[in-house]
Amino acid sequence: MEPLLILHAVAAVCAPALVRRFGRDAFLVLALPPACGFAYTLWAVVTGTPVASHHDWAPALGLGLSFRADALSLLMMTLVTGIGALVLLYCSRYFSAGEEGLGRFGGALVAFAGAMLGLVAADDLLLLYVFWELTTLFSYLLIGQDPASRAGRRAALQALTVTTFGGLAMLAGFVMLGEAAGTYRISQLVAHPPAGGTVPAALALVMTGALSKSAIFPFSMWLPAAMAAPTPVSAYLHAAAMVKAGVYLLARLSPAFGEAVPWRVAAVSLGLLTMVLGGWRALRENDLKRLLAYGTVSQLGFLTVLFDTATRGAALAGAAMLGAHALFKASLFLVVGIVDHAAGTRDLRELSGLRRSAPWLCAVATAAAASMAGLPPFFGFSAKEAAFESLLGGGLGRSATLAGVVLGSALTAAYSLRFLTGAFGSPPGREPTPLAPYGAATFLPPALLAVLGLAAAPFASWYGRAMDPYTATFAVPGHDAHLALWSGAPVPLLLSAAALAAGALLFAAGDRGARAGRLLRTIDSGRVYWALVRGTNRFAGQLTGVVQRGSLPDYLMIAFATLAGIAAFALLHGPVTTAGPVVVLWKRAEQPVVGVLLAATAVLAPFARSHIVLALLVGLTGYGTALLFLAHGSPDLAMTQLLVETLSLVAFVLVLRRLPIVPEEEQRPRVPPAVRAALGLVTGLVAAGAGVLAVNARSETPIGTLLAGPAERSGATNIVSALLVDIRAWDTLGETTVLVVLTLGVTSLVFLRRRTYALERPPAGHRRPPGRTYWLTATLPPGERAAVLEVVARMIFHTLLLVSVFLLFTGHGSVGGGFAGGIVAGLSLVVRYLAGGRYELAVAAPTGAGVLMGLGLLLSVATAALGMAFGGAPLRAFSADLAVPLVGKVHLSTVLLFDLGIYLTVLGMVQDILRSLGAELDRQIEEEAR
Amino acid sequence: MESLVPVPVVLPLLAAALKLAIGGRLRRTQAFISVGTLAVVLAVSLVLLVAADRQGPLVTNAGGWPAPFGISLVADRLATVMLTVSSAVTLCVMVFSQAQAYADQEQAAPLAIFHPAYLIMSAGVSDAFLTGDLFNLFVAFEMLLSGSYVLLTFGGTESRVRAGATYAVVALVSSMLFLVAIAVTYGATGTVSMAQLAERFTPLPGSVRLLVELTLLLVFVVKAAVFPMSGWLPDSYPTAPAPATALFAGLLTKVGVYSIIRLEALLFPGGPVGGLLMWAALATMLLGVLGAAAQTDIKRMLSFTLVSHIGYMVFGVALFSVGGMAGAVLYAVHHITVQTSLFLVAGMIERRTGTTSVDRLGGLLGLAPLISVLFFVPAMNLAGIPPMSGFLGKLALVRAGVADGSPVALTLVAGGLVTSLLTLYAVAMTWNRAFWRTPPPDVAGAGTVLEGEETPEDAEGSGGAEGSEDAESPEGAGGSEGAGDPGERGGPGGPGGPGGPGGPDGPGEARGPGAAGAGRARGTEGITGREIVTSVRMPPPMIGATAALVALGLSYTVLAGPLSAFTVRTAAELLARRPYISAVLGSGR
Repeated sequence: MEPLLILHAVAAVCAPALVRRFGRDAFLVLALPPACGFAYTLWAVVTGTPVASHHDWAPALGLGLSFRADALSLLMMTLVTGIGALVLLYCSRYFSAGEEGLGRFGGALVAFAGAMLGLVAADDLLLLYVFWELTTLFSYLLIGQDPASRAGRRAALQALTVTTFGGLAMLAGFVMLGEAAGTYRISQLVAHPPAGGTVPAALALVMTGALSKSAIFPFSMWLPAAMAAPTPVSAYLHAAAMVKAGVYLLARLSPAFGEAVPWRVAAVSLGLLTMVLGGWRALRENDLKRLLAYGTVSQLGFLTVLFDTATRGAALAGAAMLGAHALFKASLFLVVGIVDHAAGTRDLRELSGLRRSAPWLCAVATAAAASMAGLPPFFGFSAKEAAFESLLGGGLGRSATLAGVVLGSALTAAYSLRFLTGAFGSPPGREPTPLAPYGAATFLPPALLAVLGLAAAPFASWYGRAMDPYTATFAVPGHDAHLALWSGAPVPLLLSAAALAAGALLFAAGDRGARAGRLLRTIDSGRVYWALVRGTNRFAGQLTGVVQRGSLPDYLMIAFATLAGIAAFALLHGPVTTAGPVVVLWKRAEQPVVGVLLAATAVLAPFARSHIVLALLVGLTGYGTALLFLAHGSPDLAMTQLLVETLSLVAFVLVLRRLPIVPEEEQRPRVPPAVRAALGLVTGLVAAGAGVLAVNARSETPIGTLLAGPAERSGATNIVSALLVDIRAWDTLGETTVLVVLTLGVTSLVFLRRRTYALERPPAGHRRPPGRTYWLTATLPPGERAAVLEVVARMIFHTLLLVSVFLLFTGHGSVGGGFAGGIVAGLSLVVRYLAGGRYELAVAAPTGAGVLMGLGLLLSVATAALGMAFGGAPLRAFSADLAVPLVGKVHLSTVLLFDLGIYLTVLGMVQDILRSLGAELDRQIEEEAR
Repeated sequence: MESLVPVPVVLPLLAAALKLAIGGRLRRTQAFISVGTLAVVLAVSLVLLVAADRQGPLVTNAGGWPAPFGISLVADRLATVMLTVSSAVTLCVMVFSQAQAYADQEQAAPLAIFHPAYLIMSAGVSDAFLTGDLFNLFVAFEMLLSGSYVLLTFGGTESRVRAGATYAVVALVSSMLFLVAIAVTYGATGTVSMAQLAERFTPLPGSVRLLVELTLLLVFVVKAAVFPMSGWLPDSYPTAPAPATALFAGLLTKVGVYSIIRLEALLFPGGPVGGLLMWAALATMLLGVLGAAAQTDIKRMLSFTLVSHIGYMVFGVALFSVGGMAGAVLYAVHHITVQTSLFLVAGMIERRTGTTSVDRLGGLLGLAPLISVLFFVPAMNLAGIPPMSGFLGKLALVRAGVADGSPVALTLVAGGLVTSLLTLYAVAMTWNRAFWRTPPPDVAGAGTVLEGEETPEDAEGSGGAEGSEDAESPEGAGGSEGAGDPGERGGPGGPGGPGGPGGPDGPGEARGPGAAGAGRARGTEGITGREIVTSVRMPPPMIGATAALVALGLSYTVLAGPLSAFTVRTAAELLARRPYISAVLGSGR
């Protein structure tokens, strides 16, 4: 089986290339895979070779490539492959030579044929689902073959959504069945059907899928709409193959679950309803294809009734009807395709005189329609006889079913007549429709199918025997049914005659019957579908409008409100410690003082009227935090915090030059400030409360207290810097890159699309005179200088740099480190810039900021890589004590290298910020002022 | 083998540092460095994946300091599979972005800023997957977030800056909450090593444990864009440069999902949070997909499906069974690949037509058959059409949900299937309108210049600017097909560049910049936010990179057997917890 499927797939993929190469003749090549499939199926039938294989695919998901073909599957395989090959043959002349999109059409059609073959041969529920959805997908593509047609696009989408809706329900049902049975193998499931529990629900879901695929009411609307597809597609997908998938699935599972009464009654009644409604609608249609489509809907309802009656006789009749329908309906569709192309229309109000101009075509159509109507000696007649016979006997329900089926058959006879007279009749007063010639390749397939409908009839009893292995799987024998050319049973024969007579009467009633059919429009599920779609669209739009506010404050409020909710949930669901939490308010007197000040600045911040005040207040919280660190006995943190805060303040102020002084007034905030304030308060309380609770809940010794020993053994005397550059250097490395990348972001935003990121040197007019340069020469024009400041800045510049280097080296033992050093070095640049402007910065800056950051990062990362290369762990520190003459013992360590990297990175960052937020903004402001 | 664990973090950082030091020079070398680095990372990730699967979790201690003291990097099955998929995606997107920048003739800025930010972000993502330390996870988040801020606002157009503001502030708030949660965690347990935390959380009183768990969950939920914290994503992603959006969509939210998995599986197994997660997952799925159905812009539609399908993964985690976890991991693998490829295709559509608004698109099937195929396959994959990977992940989750059997789980299964249907509806709608429908008359032809949001302020001063970091002048690039030369941009409706002819749109159809600029959709900017020149021919590397990702997505179907078995082993390892803990803290524990 797999080679066949692969053959189809390969053909599908190659189809566009083939069409480009051979034009429409490529369809002859594309017909080969289904033809091979047909040959294989025939070979299997004739030799009796069992078709069964299993390969693992994804056992963990319950997916396996299991194939197995019993009588029913072989029947379906014959139809799918045989008609598939014929339809592809038909395509080779149906389309005009240079038609657009033939490549993708051919590909989709062959792919569909493959998927359909897999579907009917699959012995695994999930595998069946895979092929099932694939047929849906290809049907979508094929219906939308003409992308310019709005009707086609809509029909394609409708078919896709309706059948996928059913398909997904079916998937859920399959999984429930599979979990209940412990296996997904269909053969095992049918042999040992699970019961109870979720099985009824699962069956209902599966049935939904089957009904939607087979266009049974209330899902029938998509099939007539799908007639927008090219006619070969209608013949193959929407008559012979895909729509049968649902019926096939019912037939597959019916032996096991037919006894489940709700399932059976529902399916049978829906089937009957569909049969009658579809037949009635067909009487009103003027488009030949839509007429046939409603006929198909009706017949699918018939098949559903037969298979879900779940007796041996009915199953036999169903199997016969399945084959008969495929033969005559595909044939009729193909005939319509020829008529449509040759006459230029398929509206039966416009056609006339085709019986004379195309006698052979008419003969083929008549044969097929006779089989459809159930006239002897066609195969359709035998099947219908068997159906009537199998529904005899039994209770009231069975009789009602029989009555419904007879009524449906009468309708079938009526629309068959309508079809024939409409397509080939010559109404008085209408000019004969001119008919273009049509090729043999298009005529042959429908003729063959129609002839088969006649030729198969004598072999009806053989056919019945061949189906025995399948029908025998039904437990209930039901009324005996015989499949034969002439069974001779009187009651069915009478019923057949009655149905035919009633059909003739209905047809003769003509428009009166059709008018009655207009009432049926009110229960058109197509309207329901589009109303549902519109409703969903409107609902989606409105809901998204409500949920997706696009407002940042809203998102933040949601976040904080969620946090509050979390706290409430946690307190409700988990017991709080029984002992009251111990709270130490403060250990040193400075702490409460600073704390109150901090809180005060935070409270004041929202009331700040201008940006600069806001920046200062925020800065104050930072300085306050530094004080808290100091009070807690942590000078390292305090100093770093202080430096960072200073730098941030400078950056803030630089940016503020480009912002309005007062923040833009918000247009009446949607949420009153009181609510926001309350939310802020709650957030603070949650954070603080969580801290108190957490510390009180602790029973283990914190890692921090255990660290001192190991750190000291490794040679570090300052635990903070040991943490930063050794123990948790990996974090530091990460944060260094964060600094770098954020600086890049600032640069990228400020410089926008300027191609040069270099600092501007003083313009030519300001160039220093050639020759000697002076240490304290100014870079600013005379009117803008603050000479004292400038000179002082230059004088302390080198001192600051020296301090920064000192900090870098002392970090390992006492307060300092690469980060603090880098910031101090950066601040020295800040001083120069603030005093002397951007050209001064250009003079002071040693090299490009990007290069500095790159080198710094390179050093840090290289340390990490060094550790990996030689110590098996990133950032593993190596150290050596060198005896240097005159200086004495020098402790060298890769830690220092790492720290130096940080130093350079931070320096580069500060320089870059000055360059972008300082110098570049200066330039822009100057430019605007000009 | 253990020594390879930090490579996916260290190597991109090394490359980023090198690039910074080089600046905008040596274009070819730089391109080679970027691609080479990411290729090596991919190879190393694969090796780690195999090793972690065979030998159990691999552990390296950064700085040589063992676990409770220092930071351990742990490559277990979950980490390595996420790492492998993400590095494959990162590589493809890098190739794509280089080709796009090259075709746009944008050289200096991408090299000097885009690439380092990109590499650092990818290092952050790798670190997030590998780290075994809660605080370092915070650092990793900062790395990837700060990288993403830069990429998101790249070019600094108004829409990007506005979107970036939303994104950055939401991310900062979540980072703040993360810090609070870490502080509380350390306060309660005295450690931040995840392996040790796994042992120390259990004896804590319920309220404290729940408080920490939920706060951390809130943080990760923001990252993963799960309801109720999903609103920011569709507001910010669609405006970014196409490759950046693609990368974000694939990776960033999945880092959140990964963290949720770690949190729930390793640190807080069981408990009442599962129920909460279920409802959050349901709301995420449905609200997201309904949002997608309401969109008319492809990128926005994709952003909503992105949110929606995160719900699937959360659902799998919330089930807290081997099947559910395995399904979540499988779905994550699928989703990273497919969502990224879709955003890349959206970038190509934008490049071809100048817009991603469905209202202004049409007939792409005829105009650009290759793009159509590249869109259709992952779109159907996303919608879960079997046998593609979206179906496999969905199947695993549905099976796990049905096996769970509780009413909530079954509700979620139903919700998931409805989501699947609506996803299909949304993408098929897009296909119908953008690819099938006859194009509306005002669709711009190829070679049209669509103006950027802001006129470049000093495009004329690009030539001989002084300074060492200046790139080679764009005139040297030449040769890129379809794109107009910068000199032509001011001209009236010029033909589509030297390589333009041959496409279905004759040069005569190209329209002048003034007319085309009027109705442009939001977010139609090139990689640096400059105006877009649409072109018929896509640069082959762009197509190649996208096709590679699409193929990767399809390969999961072929590899379904080993892949699904692997995810089941992953889930078993996660739920057992012991392998992770003893690998980090020593087997005695």
